[in-house]
This record gives sequence, structure tokens and C-alpha cells, in this order.
Amino acid sequence: MKLYEFEGNDLLRREGIPVPDYALAATPGEAREGAEKLGLPVVLKAQVLTGGRWLAGGVHTARSMEEVEEAARRILGLSIRGWPVHKVMVTPKVDSVREFYMAVTIDEYSGTPVAILSAAGGVSVNQIARERPEEVVSRYISVIKGLLPSEARRMCRGVGLEGAEVSRVANRLSALYRVFRNYDALIAEINPLVRTTKGDYLALDAKVEIDDDSLYRHPELNLSLDSRIPNTLERKGREIGVTYVELDGDIAIIASGAGLGMASMDIISRRMRPANFLETGGAITAELMYKVMDLVLQKEGIRAVFINVYGGINPIHEGAKGVVKYMKEHQVTVPVVAKALGNHQEETWEIFRNNGIHVVDDVSTEKGVELLARLLESNK
Amino acid sequence: MSILLNRETKVLVQGITGRIGRVQTKWMLDYGTNIVAGVTPGKGGEEVEGVPVYDTVAEAVAKQGAEASVFFIPPKAFKEAARQTIDAGVGLIVVVTEHIPVHDVMEIRDYASERQVQIIGPTTPGVITVGEAKMGIMPANMFTPGRIGLISRSGTLSYEISINLATAGLGQSTVVGMGADSVVFTSVPELLRLFEKDPGTDLVVIVGEVGGVQEENAAQFIERWMTKPVVTYIAGHNVPEGKRMGHAGAIIQGEHGTGTPQSKMAALREVGVDVAMYPAEVVELVKGHLNHS
Repeated sequence: MKLYEFEGNDLLRREGIPVPDYALAATPGEAREGAEKLGLPVVLKAQVLTGGRWLAGGVHTARSMEEVEEAARRILGLSIRGWPVHKVMVTPKVDSVREFYMAVTIDEYSGTPVAILSAAGGVSVNQIARERPEEVVSRYISVIKGLLPSEARRMCRGVGLEGAEVSRVANRLSALYRVFRNYDALIAEINPLVRTTKGDYLALDAKVEIDDDSLYRHPELNLSLDSRIPNTLERKGREIGVTYVELDGDIAIIASGAGLGMASMDIISRRMRPANFLETGGAITAELMYKVMDLVLQKEGIRAVFINVYGGINPIHEGAKGVVKYMKEHQVTVPVVAKALGNHQEETWEIFRNNGIHVVDDVSTEKGVELLARLLESNK
Repeated sequence: MSILLNRETKVLVQGITGRIGRVQTKWMLDYGTNIVAGVTPGKGGEEVEGVPVYDTVAEAVAKQGAEASVFFIPPKAFKEAARQTIDAGVGLIVVVTEHIPVHDVMEIRDYASERQVQIIGPTTPGVITVGEAKMGIMPANMFTPGRIGLISRSGTLSYEISINLATAGLGQSTVVGMGADSVVFTSVPELLRLFEKDPGTDLVVIVGEVGGVQEENAAQFIERWMTKPVVTYIAGHNVPEGKRMGHAGAIIQGEHGTGTPQSKMAALREVGVDVAMYPAEVVELVKGHLNHS
């Protein structure tokens, strides 16, 4: 789960990394109140779970109260990469003399934590790594040993830091590693960390993503899902315990596994357009499949439903009862095609067949999709 | 022959008294798996399907000689159970459990690697040596004995590919679900190495999906070390960027553009791997190789 910048800032502060004070505003009036408390000039920053805020006009420096209100009004009306701006952060403008980039994340190749430090902050670290690789240092970290202070200092010297700056920046990096570990982060990034004209080292922007599977042990974060999944159907999917991704077609997909769901998308996309990706995971019950049918049919203009399930961990015969119950209670007029294999397959076919669902008489998803296409053709 | 598991392997089931543990224990026994013990803390002395249940792994190992263990335990219990199992000297662990925090996986991986334990998963359907034994949840009727090794990130797709191969008369030696999380214990190259050495395997099928760099890593290994032919299918050609497609590891990371099926397919093609565009095409590509040799 991605955190808003202000939530990330709070985590940094908890682990001892100073961040500027801030006020959150949902209206221009609140932004003005915040600016009055903090003192001008201030920076207003859109709080959205995506990058590209600068380019979209979501960040503005204001030097008068009129400017604060006007900028807040404008930013609160923006939608940045599909994310409507509901909150703007107001924070004092900080004058810096030097910027750094630092991050702790999980390296894709090795599957171990990696700390990354650059003496050129503020811009994309990927760009720096490409153009000036000597200014970026990264180091794998053993989760058992952690990031040793001596390693953090060596990284600082590695990007050319000297004197007192070494220990000050190393100290921030060690604290960032604690954020990563203590809150089960997938990434904890500060871009930029600045040295101010007064000689303080402040984090001006935080990007933190927490592992969804660890949220049960972080009640202290008090995170709500509501604003984080802007798509209504995707949020409903999450609420009933399945993964739903809305696509732009009209063939609904229900699969009992992620790989099978993606393969179904691949095959359907050859000649039709999937309306969604949906995978149930290993928790199928009659009730879940009832809800899942309801979910995929909420999208406008669905022309058919393609069910692709395996009985491995899932009791698919139970699931079939849920599908059938839904169809009996609602007027489902579009064709429903089901491919069901594995444990209890015969029982599952029986339930489907007796209730007007087209059972795929083959082991391949391709044949199932062919059947679906034929049914749509003859329905015309 | 086979990799990881055979009909003699003495298997322990952890979480055997749970709803899923009970059902799957029966199916594993029906398949011929040599299950010698189960463990559920606090349930020692009970029996499930005639299998004795112990409170601790150490006890199950001491009394029944368990040498491999399959986990049907809740994610919260994983770290402690894994430590206990590694400490008891079990050499192979299959983690069916989904939704284990990735930091716990990284901790246990470091712990296990110092002690030479092979762990498969997490979020794996398990391992099946076809016609002999299975540790996990795969439906047995999808598999037929034969000489094709299969490695899959997705459980359901390992069934789909296996039943399609079987229907065409092409059986499997061992099928391994390597797990669908962003960090897994055993990588594709490690499994390829085992199949390369296995005299019972003539060809390996890799079923991948979007996200991560497992397939790219596999390509490097194949180029250097594999003499047996490899066929692959990568699921998720049209996946939108930045969306997690059910599996924790199945995501195309925006800015960097890593994890795309296109980059995976290109890397694999470059080292001579036959890449299927759709699952059923795997069967044709496998046939092509076997007719050739």
C-alpha cells in the first residue's frame, strides 16, 4: 500500500529524520490557515499516490496569502494521472545548499534489501544512474545483520561526501533503513534530502510503500483503503477478498488463479476485449462466487462471462453453487461459459449444465474462448 | 527419476489439523505420498487420516524420521514454524501459504541459506513427482507420468499446461510451482539446474508471468548451462502498468519498465528458448522438439 507524502513524512519523523512542519488542507481556507501558522513563503503540494506532480502543476511556491488560496483552489481541482487531488500539503519553503537522494528497497534480481545513495538529489535517480553512475552507490544489506553504521558511512564516502557531512547523511540513511524494516516497507525513499542554509539535514519528500501482507501487524499506521483505490469496482473487489482490475472491453473474466486469469486475458484479447481481470485466490466458497458474479456484472455493457477455475485448493463444486444461485436470483441474459477442471470436476459440470451455463468440453482455455466466440456470434 | 521428491521421501504436514490441511493430507495420501507425521502445536497425540500428529517438528523428526515438510499454516505463523523446521534438520520445505509478509521471507531465506535447506514458495501449489508423490494442492488428475519437467510461477497455469501436455500424450517428470511472490526462496535457475541433472527429464517447460526478473535470470542460466531444450509461455501480454495482478510479484513497475512480458520473451528467445504466445502453443513447441530428437 502506497503512503501519501505526509504519511511517509510522519514515519520518517518517528525514526528520527527531521522533516519540515506541515498543515493539510482540503479547502483554500484551510490552506491559508496553515500558511498563517507556518509563515510565508510556503510550498503547496498535491497529495496523490503517483509521481509526476511537478509536471502536472501539483506543486506551487506561494509568497502571499492570496497566492496560497489561489494555488490551493487550483491544485485541489486537479486530477493527476487519474488521481483526483483531495488534499494539499502546506509546508514552509526550505532554502537548501545541497541535495541528496536515498532509498532502501528490495532488489528485484537478488530479492534482498538494497540501500541506494546519490549526492545528486531532486531528479530521477534512474537518470543519474544512467548518465553519471559514479554519483550513485548501492549496497546489498543482510536482513539479519541490518545496515551497519560503518557501511552507511562507507556509502557516503563512496559518493564523495567528506568531513561532518559523512556522519550526518549516514545517520539519515540508517534511520531510513529502520523505516524500511520496522514498517515492512517495499520501498522507503527520500528525494530529496537537503542540507539547509542553516546546516540542518531535512527530508523534503518521502515515498513509502508498505507490504499489503504485513498490514495486520501495523495497526499503528491506521491506514484506510478508501482513498487509495480510486476505481470503485477495484475497491469492491478488494473488500470481498479478490483481485479485480478494470479493463476497457466487454468480456468479463473470473479465474481461480492469477496466472490463469492473465492467460485468459491473453487468449480473449486475440479476437475480443476483456472487461476485467479477476482472480479469486484460494478462498472460493459459494458465497464468494456469488459476490464475484455480482461484481463483474456491475460494469456496463458486459456481453459474456468467462469462468475459468481449477479445483486444487478451491472447492469448485461449492463455487458453482454460488454462480448458479446468483443467476437464479438475477436476470442474467448474457452467455456464461465455464471451464472447470481438477478435484470435483464432474460434480461442478453437472451443477453448471443443469442451470444453463455452457461447460467447456476440453482441457484448453483456447477451446473455451472459441466456444464463447461462437455463442456471441450466434446470439447476434 | 525426478527432482526434489519421490515415493520414498518421508513427508511431514504442518497445519495438518486445519480445514485445508486435513483435505489435502487425504489427497496427498491417496496419491501415494509417504506422509509419516503431522504437526499442529497443541494437537499432539491426535491422528488425521491415520497420520500421527505431534506438537513440534523436532518430535516428528525424532519419532518418524520426517525429511521434508509441507506448510498449510497461516501467514502469521510462518516465521516461527520455518525456524523450527530448519532447526529440526528437515531438508526440503514446501510453503503453500499465501500472503506471507515479504520481510519474513527475506529473514527466513537468510536463515535457511546458512543451513542448506531447500525451500519452495511461498504461494506455491507445491511439488508433484508425477505418479509417485505430491507435496501441495495440485489436483492429481491433471498430471500424467512422463519426461517433461515443468516450472511455473502460477499454480493454476501449471495445471493448465500439464493437462494440455497430458492430453497430447506428453507426460511430466516433476512439476514445481516456484511461487508467485516478489521474493521467492528457490529461483528458476536453481530448479533448472536440478532438471538439467535429472536423467528422468528430457525437456523443461517454464511458465512465467509479468513482473520481476525471474525469467531474465533464467535466460542467463540457460545460455551458459542448459543442454536440454526449454520451452516457455509468459502470461500477461496486455497487463496495464502499475497494477498488481493478483500475485504479489505480478506487477509492471512504471518508471523502470521492468517486468514486461516483452522483455522476458526477448531475453528468452535470444538464448534459443521457444516462446509460446498462448498456453496451448506450448504443446506444439514441445512436440516439435521431441520429434526432432
